[in-house]
Amino acid sequence: MSRKLKINITELCSKICSGEIKCTNIIKSCFNNIKKIDVIVKAFLRLNEECSLVKAMQVDNKVKCETSKYGSLEGIPIAIKDNIMIKNETMTSASKYLENYISPYDATVIEKLRRAGAIFIGKTNMDEFAMGGSTETSAYQKTLNPWNTEYIPGGSSGGSAAAVSSGMVPLALGSDTGGSVRQPASFCGVVGYKASYGLISRYGVCALASSFDQIGTFSKTVKEAALLASIISGKDYRDPICEPLEQINYVQNIDLNILKMVKIGVPKQIFDYKIDNEINECFNMALNKLRLEGTNIIEIDIPSYKYVPALYKVIMCAEVSANIATFDGIRYGYKTSNGTNIDDEYSKSRAESLGYEVKKRILFGTYILSAANYYKYYCHAQKVRTLFMNQIATAYEKCDFIFSPSTLQMPVKIGDKLSEECDIFLMAANIAGLPGITIPYSFSNSGIPVGMHFMGSHLSDKKLFQVANAFEKISGFDIDKYPNI
Amino acid sequence: MFRYEVLIGLEVHMQINTKSKIFCECSTQFGAEANSNICVICTSQPGVIPILNKKAVEGVIKTGLALNFTINRRCTFARKQYFYPDVPKNYQITQFESPLCSNGKLSIIVNEREKIINIERIHLEEDTGKLLHKIGGKKLNYSLLDLNRAGIGLMELVTKPELSSPQEAVEFLRELKNIVEYLDTSECNMEEGKMRCDVNVSVRIVGQKKLGVRVEIKNMNSISGVKDAITYEVQRHKKILNSGARLVQETRFWDAEEKVTKSMRLKENILDYRYFTEPDLVPLYLSNCFIENLYKQLPELPRIKKARFIKNYNLSEYDASYLTSSKMIAEYYEDALSNLDNKNSVTKLLANWISTELSAKLNASKICITKSPISSKNLSKLISLIQNEIISGKIAKIVFEEMYEKSIDPEIIIKKRGFTRISDESVITEICEKAIIESPNAVAEFKIGKKRAIDAIIGLVMKKSKGQADPKLVNKILIKKLN
Repeated sequence: MSRKLKINITELCSKICSGEIKCTNIIKSCFNNIKKIDVIVKAFLRLNEECSLVKAMQVDNKVKCETSKYGSLEGIPIAIKDNIMIKNETMTSASKYLENYISPYDATVIEKLRRAGAIFIGKTNMDEFAMGGSTETSAYQKTLNPWNTEYIPGGSSGGSAAAVSSGMVPLALGSDTGGSVRQPASFCGVVGYKASYGLISRYGVCALASSFDQIGTFSKTVKEAALLASIISGKDYRDPICEPLEQINYVQNIDLNILKMVKIGVPKQIFDYKIDNEINECFNMALNKLRLEGTNIIEIDIPSYKYVPALYKVIMCAEVSANIATFDGIRYGYKTSNGTNIDDEYSKSRAESLGYEVKKRILFGTYILSAANYYKYYCHAQKVRTLFMNQIATAYEKCDFIFSPSTLQMPVKIGDKLSEECDIFLMAANIAGLPGITIPYSFSNSGIPVGMHFMGSHLSDKKLFQVANAFEKISGFDIDKYPNI
Repeated sequence: MFRYEVLIGLEVHMQINTKSKIFCECSTQFGAEANSNICVICTSQPGVIPILNKKAVEGVIKTGLALNFTINRRCTFARKQYFYPDVPKNYQITQFESPLCSNGKLSIIVNEREKIINIERIHLEEDTGKLLHKIGGKKLNYSLLDLNRAGIGLMELVTKPELSSPQEAVEFLRELKNIVEYLDTSECNMEEGKMRCDVNVSVRIVGQKKLGVRVEIKNMNSISGVKDAITYEVQRHKKILNSGARLVQETRFWDAEEKVTKSMRLKENILDYRYFTEPDLVPLYLSNCFIENLYKQLPELPRIKKARFIKNYNLSEYDASYLTSSKMIAEYYEDALSNLDNKNSVTKLLANWISTELSAKLNASKICITKSPISSKNLSKLISLIQNEIISGKIAKIVFEEMYEKSIDPEIIIKKRGFTRISDESVITEICEKAIIESPNAVAEFKIGKKRAIDAIIGLVMKKSKGQADPKLVNKILIKKLN
């Protein structure tokens, strides 16, 4: 698909279904585009050209038959983060351990997208097992920020963010455990949405920290994020955490009046942190724009925000240490060739195939869960989590949404490190199981996008889309602008 | 020499009787081809999530209710972490802080005295797979892994250390097995590994407050093994204590071939399982209604059944105990009884035949009563033949042998072999006359007042009639003739 094609997905889909545009042509131009751009951006780990073209031809044949029924994403290409299972396709989670692993089943979201007619054009790069915020811990390649290739795209779903941002694909899926969809979306200037915990089935997503993991979407617009959410959300008996809700249509028309009706809370704790100047300026401008629309903006107080990075790290690493334990070289995945006994085989298989960041988190998680430290760290973190959630709940008695910059920092150059607090407002949503969406707002002087973040209360996703829709409209961000690559 | 007190605690693992595994839809069928009952969940492929089997929860709660447990209304699951190839996730999903059942008890009877054993908890967990290190007798230089068993639901029951002898431990296990079989919540088949047991043993000098050093024995797969292991271990403790040496806290295993316990790991090496709450499973909230409903489903339990048998069937304590010692025997008895017309007069006779003749036969051929060659229907026919005096007790035994061998209806045997009772007075009179002539000594003794001498003559009559003569008629005719 030409990135110059300024058309929304629903329109494109109906043109494919009416035969006005050939799906084959869309897919072909999509791959032509990828071949030009991805040499530089390196967003994809694997492409699925042959299968995608076959699928596209099937769609075009279907169009010839008058009685055909179409899904709401019929013939639309989508990129999938490489920690989501697509049956019979390789799934590496960007780890050497799973280099040759073929998914034996479809994730629930993949099943649903398949039914909606989407075409899976390839798997995108990520931090190894989603551990990282820069996509640099991938065992395979470093993805670059399409707006400025000296900079990181963010992570862990950096490949999906870069693919959508550079126009290689209109939609992508990622997973968000501590901001892993919204942070790279913000860094790459696209819309990134993470659902309420339990809204989208996690079945078939390689687990990082089970109590935080949610699937998220990448798109150019809020409306497209809502369309994707409408398709992939809903009850699933295979994920006990998944709420027993029917499929909801999240797609709504833009209504600026919503901004007059909602109360937006801004945590006063924002100003306790060092925020990049350009981000701070954008944030203040955004607040002014909201005020001009008649939005009631109030200050809220959530004192335990300061514990967010620590408690996130403790709980995440604890769950990581158990989740990653299954990668032992026994049943599948990397196996050392020179193990002398079972324990030696375990340690060598893991030592040789897992990256530094993964090992660091396993060790940290193992340490804090040991009998001697369990109460001091893990148990304590769970108590603080409850405290934090209670404070958030109190805040939602006064406001409908919590508004903040998506990140406290602009993306850094490849090789440099972001601060621990950078994603604090994104992590908050994971810790409390709340929905969050980042919307591109403006560009920095260096030409890199800046995003703003709305966080809603649990299962307020529909209203969140409404507000985000309106904010997108007033932001003035040119969604038709693409990086020059 | 000191007097010692023995404290024993048991940890019993029982496979919950469900069609599918605890967190996936795989079959729990025993003896299936290796790795045929497996799926993406129980082999721990990336991205899978456990889904709790409601039937397994129900099985544990029913067991808990039968053993007077408190059922916790909010339960959580935990991950117990350790690396071993038979645990595909390298952690086992179990319950740690809030198990399904807390504080139950079981009454056992040892040496005719009742003793109440308190049970700490029953929790739900998943079974592991099986590793195979040899085929036949041949040791392999690699290991084979069968994950058919991985993920089958287990209930683990943990007693307080209140058992004080191997006999009590055996009695506890027997009673538990019996109750669970009545409930049908586990098959408790130790040979198939459906019931397994770890034992904690400590020995202290009588009067000492502090507990003795605790040793855990693993790997027992028969009740007799538990008995032997405890007996061995108690002796070992006493010997060490008598010699003045110190015991070490450790985990040992029972070597069934050598009949000794051997050290597995010392206390310092006890694993740190790094338990934490299972984030993939939501806490389980159990409503009163759900629990009451399960309570209503409980069958009549062995102790109550036994009391009913004594009261309603007028049975002895011994017979009632035997008949209720397993659900299958009790069912067999009541089935047979239901086929009989004059029930009240045959309850004891039927009980006797089951507890003596039938049980001896079944034990000798190691057949379970559910597969008895003599069906309950055929046994009740035999009883009714005896009751109606169509055959004598003696003949009945011969018929019984043939019934057991050929698994056929007693009436067919009687007809074929001409075993029907002779009640024709003239035929019996003829045999009696012959017998009197052949027993001059007995006749003489009878005439001088030794009335018991008649028995010898009756015996001869019965022998001559191949046991078919009606004994009452024989008695009547002989007395008439001799007087």
